[in-house]
Amino acid sequence: MTDSVDHAPDRSGPHATFFDGSSSRRRLVDIAFSDRLRIADGDGPLASWDYADIRRADAPPGVLRLRCLSAPALARLEIVDAADIARCIELCPDLDAAEARRGTLRVVVLGLAASASMLGIVLFGLPLIADRITPLVPQEVDRRIGDAAERQVRTVFGDKTCNAREGAAALSALVGKVRGAADLAPGQDPIVVSSPIANAFALPGGKVVIVSGLIAKAENADEIAGVLGHEFGHLKHRDSMRNLVHAGGLSFLAGMMFGDVSGSGSLVFASRTLITASYSREVEQDADTFAIDTMHRLGRPPQALGNLLMRISKSQGGDDVSWLSSHPLTQDRLERMGSDDVASGGPPLLSSEQWAALKAICGPARKI
Amino acid sequence: MTSDTAPSDLDRSQWSGHTSETFVDPRGRPAPPEPATFSGDRGGFFGLISRGAALEFVTLGFYRFWLATDMRRHLWSHTAVGGDAAEYVGTGRELLIGFLFALAILAPVYLLYFLAGIEAERAKAFGSAPLFLFFYAFGQFAIFRARRYRLTRTVWRGVRFWMTGSGLSYAVRAVLWGIPMALTLGLVLPWREAALERYKMRNSYYGDLQGRFEGRGWDFFRQGWWLYPLAILSLAVVPLAPFVYGLFKATEWRWWLSGLRFGDVRMESALGRGELISLYWKAIGWMLLLALALGFYLWAVAAAVSSASGVPVNKLFAAGLSSGSMVFVALLAAGYLVFLLAASVVMRVYLLRDLWERVIGSVEVHNLVAADNVTGLGAAASALGEGLADGLDVAGF
Repeated sequence: MTDSVDHAPDRSGPHATFFDGSSSRRRLVDIAFSDRLRIADGDGPLASWDYADIRRADAPPGVLRLRCLSAPALARLEIVDAADIARCIELCPDLDAAEARRGTLRVVVLGLAASASMLGIVLFGLPLIADRITPLVPQEVDRRIGDAAERQVRTVFGDKTCNAREGAAALSALVGKVRGAADLAPGQDPIVVSSPIANAFALPGGKVVIVSGLIAKAENADEIAGVLGHEFGHLKHRDSMRNLVHAGGLSFLAGMMFGDVSGSGSLVFASRTLITASYSREVEQDADTFAIDTMHRLGRPPQALGNLLMRISKSQGGDDVSWLSSHPLTQDRLERMGSDDVASGGPPLLSSEQWAALKAICGPARKI
Repeated sequence: MTSDTAPSDLDRSQWSGHTSETFVDPRGRPAPPEPATFSGDRGGFFGLISRGAALEFVTLGFYRFWLATDMRRHLWSHTAVGGDAAEYVGTGRELLIGFLFALAILAPVYLLYFLAGIEAERAKAFGSAPLFLFFYAFGQFAIFRARRYRLTRTVWRGVRFWMTGSGLSYAVRAVLWGIPMALTLGLVLPWREAALERYKMRNSYYGDLQGRFEGRGWDFFRQGWWLYPLAILSLAVVPLAPFVYGLFKATEWRWWLSGLRFGDVRMESALGRGELISLYWKAIGWMLLLALALGFYLWAVAAAVSSASGVPVNKLFAAGLSSGSMVFVALLAAGYLVFLLAASVVMRVYLLRDLWERVIGSVEVHNLVAADNVTGLGAAASALGEGLADGLDVAGF
């Protein structure tokens, strides 16, 4: 306080301001640089600090604020006289030791190590973790998640399921054949929901949902069989659960790494999207392989799936809710299906009547 | 002022010029209010955060604990009341440890949340939506505990600020206030803020001086009610939004600061209503410039990659993840990262440092003599709350 200075008697030694760390009282003190830094006021000594224990504390420019390791933690001595400041810097060997020990380099090296290990975990650890954990999760959990997802699907699509009797029977026959060839236990028939969107997905727990736009776009039963084979591949590999474990772990890791760095929400989202895309690409490849193998066993052409994908991609262009958004049509996918053009020696999967019934599963009047 | 507990040999009141009982100066007049001052050097702060942003980039965000600490140390140590600058005594390491503890707590919480969500969805489609309430409450808990951490790392005149109270109790209050907030479409905001601040402040101390909050919801409402229709209007007329937000924040800051008390020490803010608007516009202007630069960069990268690989620009994404497009994506990501970090520098210069400077500059502290001989009390709280706030993305700065 400025007015307090008026009351200060003349002093011989250098002046400083002292806070003893146990009260907020501001004391104008004398300091003496002897064997230790001695702090005293008119009534006698207040403290003496060992030079080796003295550290710099944050202060505004022009002020040297000191603390002492062997004094109360919040005791502070503030020096403003330039000569005294220089003297202190000269006498205290470890004045900036705390700052040096923190070392930005150390933090950066630590940070780099942390990011490298994080990258390793994300690229190699997470897929492994997903592979290992998924078999440990009881099928019951898959079914429960599947039930929950089915409710959402029904809510989104307004409960417009298609089950014209003959169409359902044809679908059932087709599914039976694919299941047989894929060596899958008999299960529930796919749910067909009515919507112009061309899409199909496997729900955890064993259900497959076909959105009727896909049936409308298909030109023969082989194409639907290819889609079924692909989705059954996901079911067989429990890919929903694997994706869930993978995505959950990834969100957690990404959030952890970036924390509250401003704008990181979109960054987390972007990196997650990229990594999920590359992971799901592997998963999709495996499902394609499964579909191709299944078609081979049926003696039907595997490239039917590719043809269907091609047609959807041509007709829908930028439609981002189609099958293509989650199953991007890449050149290598097409090539894999196309090059595998083995003689289609097997019998047709559905008769032409059955095929017509399947096409009309959402009712003949419906024009898509 | 509480009883003088200082040892008698420390009782040198001739230096303070005041006797602790009367809060008047020797000439018998009440002591004039003391302005709060901020003396931070803008260039220094800019250097600090630019360097910090670069290190954040290199360490994928890991450096943020040390950057946050450095920013606070800068702001605190250049902020002075009664001629004495404050000091921030927290460390980056504490924040890191708090964050790791928070992760250990959040991991099972997230898992439980996920499982509860599935069960709720099974019962009813989108039935898990109310579960977000849980995270809202958890976030409020974290906000309270993070404030406690920051307060206990704030030291002035060799005495620390500290805080009691329960984060849980605070979270319950915050959630309950959510009901009238929803019913009145946010009109009770002033009363909510006043009530929550009263809870926080009556649990805050400077040494043995207990804090309290005397701002009244009604006063805040009277000062700012007309911003409510303007806020709605700005949903339609977007360029209005920075004005409305700047007016709102200035009103809120002034009301909040003017309600703060520690014992007999009283704060008063004279922040002008329009004083923050220009900061928001400057930040927006820089963001637009940065976005423009990002757009130009993306265009240049796309053109370069497409001419190098022979793939037309509009097919770069559709080509799948071939090696050419991997390079493309990596360049995009790097550009975006640099954009984010530059944006964070802009935000921190204008909306943290400059805002701090204007807000602190508006403050006068009355009756500061009541803080001349306060007994130090309270211990440093753990950084767990700050870690939770970081993990839940509700942290301030």
